This record gives sequence, C-alpha cells and structure tokens, in this order.
Amino acid sequence: MFLRRLGLGTLVAARLLLAYHPALLHLQDDAQLSSPLTSYKRLLEGIFLFQNGVDPYTGGTFRHSPLLLALFSTAFPLSSTTTPIIWLAFDLLGAVSLAKIYHSRTQARDRNRNFVLVAFYLLNPYQLLASLARSTASIENALSLLASAFACSGKSSYALLALAFLTHLSMPAVLLTLPISLLILRGPHSSLATPTAFHSWSKLIPLIAEYSIYVGILSITASSIAGGVHWPYKTWGAFLTLPDLTPNPGLWWYFFTEMFDHFRPFFLAAFSIHMAIYVVPLSLKFQHDPLFAAYIILGIVGLLKPYPTLADAGLFLTLLGVFPEIYQYLRTPIVTALLHLHSSLLLPLFHKLWLSQGTGNANFFYASTLVFALANGFAILDALQAGLRVGLGTRPDGWELVQI
Amino acid sequence: MGAFQGVVRQLMLRLPSCLLALLLAFLAVGQQTNPVDEFFARTSSTHTNNWAVLVCASRYWFNYRHMANALGMYRTVKRLGIPDSNIILMLADDVACNTRNKFPGSVYANQGRRLDLYGDNIEVDYRGYEVTVENFIRLLTGRVEDSVPRSKRLLTDERSNVFVYMTGHGGNEFLKFQDNEEISAFDIADAFEQMWQKKRYNELFFMIDTCQANTMYSKFYSPNILATGSSMLDENSYSHENDADIGVAVIDKFTHHVLSYLEGINKTSKANFKDFFETYNFETIRSHAGVRSDLFDRKLEDTLLTDFFGGVAQVEVMDIPPNPSVQEPLVKSDQKLAQGVDDAFSSSIPRQSLSPVNPPGMSGWRLWLGCALMVGLVLVVGVFRG
Repeated sequence: MFLRRLGLGTLVAARLLLAYHPALLHLQDDAQLSSPLTSYKRLLEGIFLFQNGVDPYTGGTFRHSPLLLALFSTAFPLSSTTTPIIWLAFDLLGAVSLAKIYHSRTQARDRNRNFVLVAFYLLNPYQLLASLARSTASIENALSLLASAFACSGKSSYALLALAFLTHLSMPAVLLTLPISLLILRGPHSSLATPTAFHSWSKLIPLIAEYSIYVGILSITASSIAGGVHWPYKTWGAFLTLPDLTPNPGLWWYFFTEMFDHFRPFFLAAFSIHMAIYVVPLSLKFQHDPLFAAYIILGIVGLLKPYPTLADAGLFLTLLGVFPEIYQYLRTPIVTALLHLHSSLLLPLFHKLWLSQGTGNANFFYASTLVFALANGFAILDALQAGLRVGLGTRPDGWELVQI
Repeated sequence: MGAFQGVVRQLMLRLPSCLLALLLAFLAVGQQTNPVDEFFARTSSTHTNNWAVLVCASRYWFNYRHMANALGMYRTVKRLGIPDSNIILMLADDVACNTRNKFPGSVYANQGRRLDLYGDNIEVDYRGYEVTVENFIRLLTGRVEDSVPRSKRLLTDERSNVFVYMTGHGGNEFLKFQDNEEISAFDIADAFEQMWQKKRYNELFFMIDTCQANTMYSKFYSPNILATGSSMLDENSYSHENDADIGVAVIDKFTHHVLSYLEGINKTSKANFKDFFETYNFETIRSHAGVRSDLFDRKLEDTLLTDFFGGVAQVEVMDIPPNPSVQEPLVKSDQKLAQGVDDAFSSSIPRQSLSPVNPPGMSGWRLWLGCALMVGLVLVVGVFRG
C-alpha cells in the first residue's frame, strides 16, 4: 500500500514538473488538443480584454463561459506558475472521481485497480497532452467525471450541480442529463448481465427540474459577470451556429467550410439533431445500467460534437476501465487500438503538412479526422455490442450465438 | 464724476498697451505648432500611401524579358513595402506556363536562374487579353465600369504617390500593346492630367523601358511628375543577358540596372533619386537613359527612393494617455499594459498574475460577485440538499 501511495505521489510530482517544461508551451497552439472553445490562449485573451475594459464577448475570439472568466480572474489567477497546478488539480479531481465511480460500481475495494485507473487517467496521452496544453477540455472531463461520481454515490444535488457547471462550459453536456438522472435513481451497480426494467420514470422530473434551476442560477451568475445577456450567443451559440471553422479533429468543420449559406441552417440542425438523437434510445435500452448508457453517450457526444478535441476521445477510452465485464465480449479491440494509433499519428502530421509546410492540403487532414472518427466509432460500437452481449450470458458448449 | 472721468482716462491711456498685449498673446497662442503639421514636416514627402502600376505591354514567348522586367519590378516593389492591394500588375502572363518554357511555372530574370519571380504568391490583376490601352487608361483615370472589382481599380487619393512602370516594344512617342494596338505619349499625358484634375495622385513617378523610351515622357504637362526612360529618340534599348536553357533573353539592361540598384536598399533606406539617377551610364545600359524632372517641384536629393518604390509610412508611436479614472498608480498600469503587449509578441508564456484593475468599462466587482454567487450556490446546495 505504501508502494502504491509512493507510486502515485511520484506520478503526480513528475506530472507537475513536466507541466513546467518550456518546450510544452507549443502544445497550446495545437489544434487537436484545444479547439476554439477550449483554447488556453483565448482564455488569457478574454481575461486580458476584460481587465482592460473591453467586453470579451463583443469579438469572436473568446468563447469560454463567463464563469471561467470570473474564476480565473479572481480566485485562481492564471500565470506561468499557477496554471499547471490548477490544471493538475482538475486532473486529480477527475482521477479521484474515476476511482470513486469504479468503487461504486463494483463495490470491491481493489486498491491496485484504483491505482491503475488513476494512473491511466493521468497518463493517457490524449488526456495528458490536452492537460499539458492547458486546454479547458481537461476541466470539462473532470466535471463530467465528478458529476458521474456524485451520481454513483447517490448525491443527486451535487451531481446535478456539477452537470450544470459542465453545461455552462460545454453545451452538449446537456445531453448527459437523462443518463445522469437515471444513474441517480437507479444506482451504479453493474447489471449488464441481469437487465431489469426501470419503472419510476416520473421520478426523473424533479431531478431534471432541479438541474434546470441550477443552470438558470448559473446563467444569472454568468449574466451578472458579463454584464448582459449577449454571452449565450457567443458561448452556447457557437455549438449551434458553428461560427469558427478552425480545423479540429471533428467532423463538422470541413463540411461547413464548403457549405452554401442557403443550406447552412438545415445542416446545422441536422448535425445537432444527429448528436442528440442517440440519448433517449440509449437511455431506454440501457435503463438497467445507466452508467453504461452515460458512458456510450459520452462517447457519441465526443465523436459528434461540433468542436471536439482529443481529450473527449481520451475520456471515453479511460472510462472503459470501469467496465471490465465487457472485455471478453469486445470483438474488435485490436482494430480500434490500431485505428487510434493510426489517427493519433496522422492528425498532427497532416495538420502540420497542410498548414505549416504547405505541401499537403485540407483533404489530408480531413481524411485523418475521418480515421479518428472511425476509431471512435469502432470503440463506441464495440463497447455497445459488448454491453448488450453481456446480457446474453456465456455461451454454453455446443451452442452458437446467431443474430437474426 | 471727476473720479469716473479720471478712471476712463486711465483706461484710455492703458487701452493701446492692453490691446497690444492681447494681440501678442493671440499671436503667441497661434504660433503653437499643430502637431500634425509638425509630423508631416519631418521629411519633405507629402504622401501617405503608395501605389504602383506595373505594365508589361508585350505578349508571346520571345518577349520573355518584358514579363521578367515587370515581375522583377513587382517583386522589388513588394519587398520594399507596397502591398498587393496597392499594386496593379498588368501582364500578358503567357510565359510561365508556355509550352516552350523548360521550367514551367517559373519566370527567371538572370542567366543562372537563381530567383524565380513567378512563384505561387503573385497577384496579376490584368492578365492576357485584358491588358489593353483602353483598360490602362480607364484604370488610370478611374473611369471604370461598376462591375470592375476592387482589385482592378486604382483607388488612389490626393495623398498617394503613384509609381507607373511600363515595358514593351515602343518607338517615337508610342508603345505597342500586345502586338495589336498602340498607346501614344499624348494619351498617357492626358490620362495623367485627368488624374491630376481628379486629385488621384500626390506625386507620380513614371519609368519606361522600351526603345526610344524618353520620347514617351516628353509630352507630359501635369505637375508633380518625375519621369525616367531607358533610351533617347532614335536609340534602341537592349536586352541584358540570355539564359541558355530558357533560350531567350531574360532581362533588359535598363531594368536590370534599376533592379540591381534597388536590390541594395531596403525599406529603411535614405537613398535619394539624385544619387540614383547619377548611376545611369552608357557603358552598362548601352543607351542614353533620361530623366525629366522639370514638372517635379521637390529637389531630387530630398526625394527618397522609398517615396515611390516602397510603401514606407511615416509612423510615430505615441504613449497611451493615462486614464484618470484608474485607481491604481499610473506607472504600474502602463507597465502591465506594455508587458502584456511584449508578452503577446514574445513566446507563449502567459503574463504575470493580473490584479483586478478597475477599468472604466467592465468592473472588477462583477467578477467577485460572480465568484461569490458560484460559491454560494455550491454551499447552499451542500447545506440544504447534501
């Protein structure tokens, strides 16, 4: 146990020291690790503008929530010394929440496994690099894990409050309301193998109402910070209207660069609805295990959201550690792993080739984002079918499982 | 009554001196120089922006050198600071991708093919069959159709210095356009006069590299025009060198001389036109290059090359005036601002911790209120629903 603690301490200390390395400052510019909505430089720009009397929401640079503006101007001032500590604190919050989720789910106090999970969360390159790039996607990940952890413990108000904070940072998190509420009501225990129906749907309404109240209060807070109601159009509206077409590892930007304005509203609606449409069916299908539903929905949102980063894929992959019961039924783990390896190597390469060197063009990078989407898609679908397969039980000898 | 009269007399005696004092005071106040005039009086130039019109009036492969002339001038003028938006480049543009070009997509102006003038970053505004006399005169005079895009208009104003460069085949008071038509010296002179009447230039520098070029500027009659040409009446202008692999002449002597001279200066150069014109010599150019400066009222030794060839703006960086409503000491806030600007232009290291200054627009109390509200919400939820 002491070795575990020592190992964890070493890990955290090494991670903290790594964050101060000056060569890592170039990561802040990387488009894969931070999108226009999560970029650290834009956050600094917004804080600077605010503190010099200019409303940061009048331009198109700053798209973070006013809550972050307030928090990082006053309570947690950002500088070259304090920022790595703040980001490490959020990472540790996420790691602790992850361990809590696992503990709630399996009820086994397996400390080795806890350590492995925490280490994996801190060392997962998708999330490590995003955190070293000081992308606010790390904060979003930490908040989603925190909301899930509170929901697993049954602390409904804390969970919904964390979810409300997360919604203010990243609007697609509103899609997590249904699974998190189900998780609060149902509990986190693994019942993939023994699916039973859920009957108290009406109990969801007070939870969703409470969540809405929290979002409302935080919106009032944000409006008082920003001094007006123009901020939702710039922050949440960015998810719906896609004003900034900076290339990112997502699927939206390329499509909308070549979109005629006449068709833009239709396709924006189509893409948004596509992202939202999976929530209710998945929650219904996995009503016996809402944590798994939340997991799959996190993956889908990470795949289909307007401005994804590598941190979203990283969260999905890390959370796979919470569901060991599906490992034996995963059919394409190697393909998924190789696709992720492939895309994680190609994405920065083609980005540089296109935008720095000029020897490639946008199609190279777009192709690598398609591979990345394929990797995510494979991961989600594999996990999904494995989750369903668990419910069918082990195959007896002499019997075959056939899909009809 | 007597006392009153005494006072009035005193006033009358003192009145002239009072009036004189008042007049002197007014004069003294009026003598305070206008800082704007002071700023413009630093150099003898009176322009605020620069434009360049570079015309290559020939087409076909064997006139490669005229294309190279114009492209070389384009590169130099861009290097010295005139942006593409202020350059009108008129080329037939048929040599770079000509089937006879051994180096497709490239245009070179020297024998060893050391510098590609074509590249992938040039903007040709009038190309191919659009280079006509009518388009050229419409461009200069501004009498273009509504459908002509901005990039093809000469959007000069009365403070613009315009550099007009023309190259091609010419003769006594004419220049051949695209093997098809001619423009005469009278046409150009009238076009410049229209520009002057419409206040479309502050000063104009006309350079022409053709046979019998000096005749082309002999007919100008508008003020503030400086002109130079490559050869006199009955004299040819010669090409400078051939490239063995391209197979044709790649640059003309006069333009080569001009470009070599300009290659030695940069945007900060104080080289003037007098020195530049004194470098003209028959031995290297093999023709008598001429200068016409009688219409130009500034002294040539005061006129900088960058007044026409470059896009150098007169800039003075002023200190940001201190804001009276700022509560913190002024020095500290200026330092923070300056430091912020420095950091923005240096590496990605974020600024030191900003203490909340009270700016006149957005107030710092909002931030603390927001933080307080967030913390309050968490506490309330914790207490009542935890």
